[in-house]
Amino acid sequence: MNIRYLMSVMLLACGVAQAQDVFPSRSITMIVPFPPGGVADVTGRPTAAALEKVLKQPVGVANRPGAGGAVGNAAAANAKPDGYTVLMALSSITVIPEADKLFNRKPAYTLDQLAPIALISADPMILVVHPSLPVRTVKEVIALARKQPGELSYSSSGVYGALHMPMEMFLHAAKLKMRHVPTTGGGPAITQLLGGHVTMTAGGPAAITSHVKAGKLRTIVTWGAERHPNYKDVPTFKEQGMDIVYYIWAGMFVPVATPEPVVKVLRDAVRQAVSDSDFKGQMAKVNSPVNYLDAPDFAKYVDTDAKRLAAVVKVVGKIGN
Amino acid sequence: MVETFNSLMMGFAVAFEPRVFMYAVAGCVIGTLVGMLPGLGPLAGISLLLPATFGLDPIIAIVLLAGVYYGAMYGGSTTSILMRIPGEAASVMTCVDGYAMTQNGRAGPALAIAAIGSFFAGTVGVIGLMLMAPTLASFALRFGPPEYTALLLMGLFVLAYMSGGSMLKTLAMAIFGLLLGMIGIDVMTGYTRFSFGLVELGDGVGIVPVAVGLFGISEILIAAGQAEPPKVQRPKLRELIPSREEFRLSVGPIIRGSLLGFAIGIIPGSAHVISSFVSYGVERRLSKHPERFGKGAIEGVAGPESANNSAATGAFVPMLALGIPTGPVTAVMIAAIMVHGILPGPMLIEQQPELFWGFVASMYVGNLVLLILNLPMVGLFVNLLRIPYAYLYPCILAFCILGGYSVSNSVTDVWIMLGMGAIGYLLRKFSFDLAPVALGLVLGPMLELSLRQSLALSGGTYAIFLQRPIALTMFVLALLLLALALKPVMFKSKDWRSNVGLEDPPGS
Amino acid sequence: MAESSEPPQQEVSSSLKSDRVSGLVLLVLAGWIVWLNSEFPLGTLADPGPGYVPLLLALGLGVIGLLVAFFGGDSEPLRAIRWTEARRAVVILIACAVLTFALERIGYRLSVFAFLVFFLGVVERKKPVPMLLVSAGFSIVSFHVVAVMLGVPLPRGPWGF
Repeated sequence: MNIRYLMSVMLLACGVAQAQDVFPSRSITMIVPFPPGGVADVTGRPTAAALEKVLKQPVGVANRPGAGGAVGNAAAANAKPDGYTVLMALSSITVIPEADKLFNRKPAYTLDQLAPIALISADPMILVVHPSLPVRTVKEVIALARKQPGELSYSSSGVYGALHMPMEMFLHAAKLKMRHVPTTGGGPAITQLLGGHVTMTAGGPAAITSHVKAGKLRTIVTWGAERHPNYKDVPTFKEQGMDIVYYIWAGMFVPVATPEPVVKVLRDAVRQAVSDSDFKGQMAKVNSPVNYLDAPDFAKYVDTDAKRLAAVVKVVGKIGN
Repeated sequence: MVETFNSLMMGFAVAFEPRVFMYAVAGCVIGTLVGMLPGLGPLAGISLLLPATFGLDPIIAIVLLAGVYYGAMYGGSTTSILMRIPGEAASVMTCVDGYAMTQNGRAGPALAIAAIGSFFAGTVGVIGLMLMAPTLASFALRFGPPEYTALLLMGLFVLAYMSGGSMLKTLAMAIFGLLLGMIGIDVMTGYTRFSFGLVELGDGVGIVPVAVGLFGISEILIAAGQAEPPKVQRPKLRELIPSREEFRLSVGPIIRGSLLGFAIGIIPGSAHVISSFVSYGVERRLSKHPERFGKGAIEGVAGPESANNSAATGAFVPMLALGIPTGPVTAVMIAAIMVHGILPGPMLIEQQPELFWGFVASMYVGNLVLLILNLPMVGLFVNLLRIPYAYLYPCILAFCILGGYSVSNSVTDVWIMLGMGAIGYLLRKFSFDLAPVALGLVLGPMLELSLRQSLALSGGTYAIFLQRPIALTMFVLALLLLALALKPVMFKSKDWRSNVGLEDPPGS
Repeated sequence: MAESSEPPQQEVSSSLKSDRVSGLVLLVLAGWIVWLNSEFPLGTLADPGPGYVPLLLALGLGVIGLLVAFFGGDSEPLRAIRWTEARRAVVILIACAVLTFALERIGYRLSVFAFLVFFLGVVERKKPVPMLLVSAGFSIVSFHVVAVMLGVPLPRGPWGF
């Protein structure tokens, strides 16, 4: 049924004239800088659908994957600032320019090219170990790592990626050394752990739930500021006396030169969209509860996150040097 | 056994519910169409359809996507055989002998054997999936980076059997492919290599644009300018059906290809794309007349086509039994059921028996539908060749550019495709083989990554490759393969030069 | 080599062989890659850096290039390679490049239509009616299938077409 709906939407998009003043007078494109099925995509699509209801204009999703999100982020940053191009970015948006700086690369985009609209969701990372590892608490992990320095290993979704950053925060805070096995994504990182090739990794709640329930992975501690509602028994790093927090979040941005009235329309639309019950239901299904923040608060949030991650990137430095 | 049978019957009950069945057929049809668009393959197909499934039942969503996936696999072989345009990495080898068969006027048999081989392989795959998914999946998990390295090395040694041309030139092309695979962000360190400042090259060059350029575009560049346009073929009905001899030659490759493909397919990661290359190498090695390969040997179509289809089914084993994505395609499928609140994982088969068994049953149904759909269409497809080439090639070019663009909504892939077309044209003029480039490109990034991951795991000692039984066994096998490949070079010392340099004997 | 009677035998044997040329081109390519690769840390055998594997491969390519050139004595002479279709090939590549460039600027349907008109009308000199029918039909139908039914956001031009 949805196919037919989609088709009618696309047809509508063809027919709508564009010479109207009120925003939005034609279809909006939401750039998702990751492939279909990723976190950004499963957050972006319901958001787009909910926005469509509010704005009464089609909101189409365009996946522009590549280079860990850099391609899509850059495409949005350099898009025409008229509000008809919006971006559903993940937290990696703040790390990519930092990594570019580190390697003296011409940055694909800079953070100040984009204006935050709203935070949609934020999931804390959880430290999971292979059940064969004789540890249950973070203190035991640290003790074990001290006993065998440089022997334990962890997998990640790629260097400076969403699983690498929190692990480095932890290792730095606890002054530990571990072997790092980067992989090509969150899925492969967990596969390495399930196969027992590495001893631990950081994982988002959605990615680990079924494995934890089946006893194939053991949760240790979470990077959340407070305990996750679905993981009441997993303590936070803060409770364990380490001040480290890491969320993988998804939020909406527009090019920075987008006119203020248009930004306001979009902000209001997102505010209404996130309280839509269909939208909430869809987000709950992918295990990623809505965590809405409006533009001013979201800007502060991005800022704090960017500073925190920039520090981690500096600590990690160039790998292989 | 009885339990499996009962569950399967329950599955068939689900699969034959009118709505489910309808979507399974729709998926197969859409998939076949998508697969036939040059440049669009299974991954593009299911990615494009994924959003449309969000509003459907989870079982329907997954049945539809699986249908698209299979259908695109079938459809990909059609363009490979008729126009030398691979829709995905797995049909690169089909291009070689399949297209040669088309030029010999045997397009019909090639298509028919591809369809029959795919059907057989798909069925073998589903039976394997049904009977052994949990066992196989936990075995597959033991494939860590060292095992992967060994597997990929074995894939690399297939090169020795891949082409009849000069060994040196084959190696040169393979290294060229491996080097192409180095483009992009280095996963281990984050350095961007050889990207010339283009962000779009961060993820490297995709195999599909490269393969379409090297094989498809270069063919058009060579054919379109001929003084005489390629002959329009008017096949008779009798020529559509494989001869008894062709059937006889295909049985072995189909069976071997199916088993081999399934074995490689269950391993998590993207290694399943090498299954068709390996199958081609195996068949050429086993053949009594290896010189026929590359010139329209039906075994060169039957083996790889079967291998890639059973590998496609094999890839579902870890996905359904463990809930882990084995590659981009299964990652999209997992997303398709996750948005319905179903968490794929080790408990999926117990918690969602209807989903699992319905899916298994619908795969049987889908395979059958595709066979029924494809065999009569062979005649139709072959008639595409009746279109005068002057009309055909501009449309193929436009299709290739459309396909290249659609994969990630960007023209970068199209530029890569055109560049590769030019390179492929020049390489063919200088009689270089192109298939090794594709194999190199597929293997390059995976091989480098798994080697360096292994060393990261072991803290830098190569002993890790010897300490792990599976890896060790595979290394020994790989060495044996290499020794077998080198044997003719070592022992026929009197014309060693013809093996190293030019193998084309004066007679051919 | 159908024209074996034409050139004197000595000139054929002394003329440049195709494999000599391609081998040397591979060598140059390898050298260029080694040079490009010099900006990446090599690492060690135990801990290969981003430049390690590419360097090994480029060196291998260079060696093989040399070998191809060395053993290339019996290969086809360079001048025996016929370039009859080369001019058409260049035309095709340029037309494809123009189409690619135009795609995001004037939209899919217009640029593909122009592309087909160019090939069918100018290059292949087909009659106007079938030429226009095929060009228009192809661009509209393919757009409908891919953009509307499959939902790929194909580019539209400034006039929304």
